[in-house]
Amino acid sequence: MLKNYFKIAIAVLKRRKFFTFISLFGISFTLAILIVLTAFYDHLFSPGYPDYKRHRSLYVNSIVQEHSKHQSHNQGPPSLYFMQRFVTTLKTPEKVAISSIFGPTNTYVNNRKLVINIKYTNQAFWDVQEFRFLEGRPYSEQQIAAGEKVAVISRETRENYFGDAPAVTGRYIQTNNIQYRVIGVVDNVPKTLLYSYADMYLPYSLSATDMANKGYNGSYTAILLGRTAKDLGAMQAEYAAMISKVPLDTASFNSIQGSADTYLASFARVLGGKASGSSGVPRFIIYISIFVFLFMLLPTINLVNINTSRIMERSSEIGVRKAFGASSGTLAIQFIVENLILTFLGGLLGLLLSGVILAMVNSSRLIPNAHLTINFTVLAAFVLACLVFGLLSGVFPAWRMSRMQVVSALKAN
Amino acid sequence: MLKHLFKLIWNKKKQHFLLMVEILFSFLIMFAVFTLAVYNYKNYQRPMGFDHENVWALSYYDKDRSGADKDSLALFYEMVKRTISHAPEVAAVSFVSNNSPFTMSMNNSVITRNNKTAQVDHFSADDDYVGVLKPVLLKGRWYGRADDGAALEPIVVNRSFETMFFPGEDPVGKTIKVGDHDARIVGVVQDMKDKGDYKPLGPGLYQRTTRSSYSWLSRMLIRIKPGAGANFEGRLYKQVAGILQDATVEIEHLDEKRVVKNNITLIPLIVFGVIAGFLILNVSLGLFGVLWYTISKRKAEIGLRRAVGATGAGISRQVVSETLVLATISLVVGLFFAVQFPLLNVFFMEESVYYTAILLALLFIYALVVVCAFYPGRQAAGIYPAVALHED
Amino acid sequence: MIRLQNIEKVYRTDTVETLALNSISLNVAKGEFLSIMGPSGCGKSTLLNIMGLLDAPTRGEVRIADSTPGYLSDKQLAHFRNKKIGFIFQSYHLINDLQVLDNVELPLLYRKSTARERKALATAALGKVGLSNRIKHFPSQLSGGQKQRVAIARAIVGQPEIILADEPTGNLDSAMGNEVMDILLHLNRQEGTTIVMVTHDEQIARKTHRLVRLFDGAQVQ
Repeated sequence: MLKNYFKIAIAVLKRRKFFTFISLFGISFTLAILIVLTAFYDHLFSPGYPDYKRHRSLYVNSIVQEHSKHQSHNQGPPSLYFMQRFVTTLKTPEKVAISSIFGPTNTYVNNRKLVINIKYTNQAFWDVQEFRFLEGRPYSEQQIAAGEKVAVISRETRENYFGDAPAVTGRYIQTNNIQYRVIGVVDNVPKTLLYSYADMYLPYSLSATDMANKGYNGSYTAILLGRTAKDLGAMQAEYAAMISKVPLDTASFNSIQGSADTYLASFARVLGGKASGSSGVPRFIIYISIFVFLFMLLPTINLVNINTSRIMERSSEIGVRKAFGASSGTLAIQFIVENLILTFLGGLLGLLLSGVILAMVNSSRLIPNAHLTINFTVLAAFVLACLVFGLLSGVFPAWRMSRMQVVSALKAN
Repeated sequence: MLKHLFKLIWNKKKQHFLLMVEILFSFLIMFAVFTLAVYNYKNYQRPMGFDHENVWALSYYDKDRSGADKDSLALFYEMVKRTISHAPEVAAVSFVSNNSPFTMSMNNSVITRNNKTAQVDHFSADDDYVGVLKPVLLKGRWYGRADDGAALEPIVVNRSFETMFFPGEDPVGKTIKVGDHDARIVGVVQDMKDKGDYKPLGPGLYQRTTRSSYSWLSRMLIRIKPGAGANFEGRLYKQVAGILQDATVEIEHLDEKRVVKNNITLIPLIVFGVIAGFLILNVSLGLFGVLWYTISKRKAEIGLRRAVGATGAGISRQVVSETLVLATISLVVGLFFAVQFPLLNVFFMEESVYYTAILLALLFIYALVVVCAFYPGRQAAGIYPAVALHED
Repeated sequence: MIRLQNIEKVYRTDTVETLALNSISLNVAKGEFLSIMGPSGCGKSTLLNIMGLLDAPTRGEVRIADSTPGYLSDKQLAHFRNKKIGFIFQSYHLINDLQVLDNVELPLLYRKSTARERKALATAALGKVGLSNRIKHFPSQLSGGQKQRVAIARAIVGQPEIILADEPTGNLDSAMGNEVMDILLHLNRQEGTTIVMVTHDEQIARKTHRLVRLFDGAQVQ
């Protein structure tokens, strides 16, 4: 039966080449755009190098201080002091990585300016994040305590600063007018990974500014790593309990709020601007769904339109099939299957097309060091999109077709 | 004739329903595209209001200075400024707040005058700002040494500020409350598009830095004489980093920052435009296909019309006009939605932007429909009555 | 085999009522070959459609092969047609996108059967109409007579008890028409299939057992 559907679907496609072209064009471009968008989403929010443990991690990127009377409101990342006093001392997490949000410094090599983004981290950062070390190793607890001027740099920084040198461990790199000894080189990280990216990683003890700052506002983020994904709830609860007990340090504010969130939620919360309670992820997902729905609506109406026109052309076939014993249901299924075949054909084209677009995005370095790929998540999204699209654009025409009266169908020539 | 066409369409309204929905959505999409395009083009067309070429931003992120002694801080940073100004490659130097041109940083104050309240961009800069960024002075003067010891703090406002708070008045010499104290307006400058080429008009004020500002200032703008290159930048960097121990120092070029800032506006617009373009192409192909198909289904009707005396050109015109009537029905519905935007002032854009966008979107959809109907119309004109009538 | 009693068919539009069939009663015995004649618009096709359960009468009772299909659902009706009735149309109504064999297999798709069974049955049916050598052709590659023979093969492949033919020779010249007629007569004689045929052609009609004439929706003979 399916073979029969397939035969007829292919034959129909071949007959009206122009319509087939329009349908395939619409489907393939719509799906290609959806696949590219999913690839972006996937790149931004799915675990990847070097942040593989997102399923059992919670992220902290801001605290909110407010004064209910003065209407004052301050939202921003906490300080090193805050992290060390309140966050790294939490009991539930296996490890707590803290690092500063990367900040730019300049260095000048052979009359060429290099911008080197620096991140100060603690030692646990290297255990929580799984960097690929091309050479050397991370700095130790002792080196941090001793305030040794040591640095882990990215592959890109090595290339930019040292040129083609095969190994640079032990050599010195100067930026911000300070010399650091290179003790490790890690593979590049895309700039979109707020908690991981930098060109150069330094022990937090080297940041004179952060070490001197005894306020709560600063530029640090934290990753709380649980032993398993089951720890997330307990970690969240402990963080909430901790923050409710943080003593106020200035008279300008009378409350401090904040929470440890999953990766996506940590960004949704900053966008939503709510310090505690719901992170805004559901709303975020609703917005995305509405966008995708609206985006797919027009191509779908278009396809429905074309499909409905094409049905009229096939009234004789419909009449004959009905006369020889096909029920309305069977016919509707036939048409939906045909449509799904068409959609999947278009989908394959779309997959190819999105491959080309992603290759172009990657080579354009729109996001440096990011390699957008069609991976498993994206492929699953693609199959789902195909299915939805095929059903959306097939159901209405199928319904109209199956309602057609045999007698009139056979009359129309 | 129009009534006849309307009847034809009305009697087939079920068949045409989806087509009309499609045109309606296309119109709304084009309305959105044109609104954004017109809005941004209008902003783009206005002059920048300042000169960013050959200006560098030097940022120094230092330890918390709030506890330090005001006078020694002032002495120290004025020395830093002098040292930089002495370099022969440097034309002018000015301390500025962090919301300097082409940064993400914003600083707003709420200003109230004569029952009018608005959020205003609040910039801080010293006397030499006028020499670094060269804003266009429209009235009065930039603040300077002459204001030392004045009872009221001097401020400069921009043109939008003037039209918003001083309609029909000359603001120079007037006082206005900024924060918790009064300030005297000494000059009016043209609006500066300091957040990129696509920044809309908006009120702004420039406040003079004082000796106590050095506890929080962390950026200088430096105008470089043409021809000074990376070599000088390296030396300058070393010099400043040498003086400002413990600070993280960064030098950026305003022209590069401008490109980045513009791209932040432009790239989403381009992506949106490409997606909209694709949707419209999709729709127009579909429209074309459906019309083409309908013509082949209506051969008998067209043949009959030819037989009773319609000319080929007349038939072709009929097909196009039918589609135009169809489009008009959808567009009337679309217009109803579109005019809500200026009427309800949804996104606080000028009304004229919306109306221009509506007009452009209307023209665009009509043009699209005519183009899509033209070929099927020609094809219909080529139908021979004898053949068409015989076929049925 | 077919039993029509006081069949009436009224077509309604918003303003007009047209009486297409007026109290027709007709019995067709098993194994009979009946032809229906009449000027165009007299309701012959409507009558045939009612017999074929493609259309329901406004009033009256239809019994086909000892059952009353009036109460059946769309699905049951489809199944009933599939088992009991084969159709032949003036304009063949072959599916142009399918090869001859696939066209003939069509009725078998809507009942339980394997691909092999379908192929065997369809090949046999095509053999009966003398088109064994055209199995892989598309309808567009065939002459009118051949197309109608394919349509006959399709009508008999499911071994229905009744064949309803709506002007099967109407689009064919007399040589081809006779060819098609011979096949139908053979089918009736050898397999005992009940056939009801609408025709314009007096000569063709005379070859059948019984002739019914309709005029303005009423039986005149």
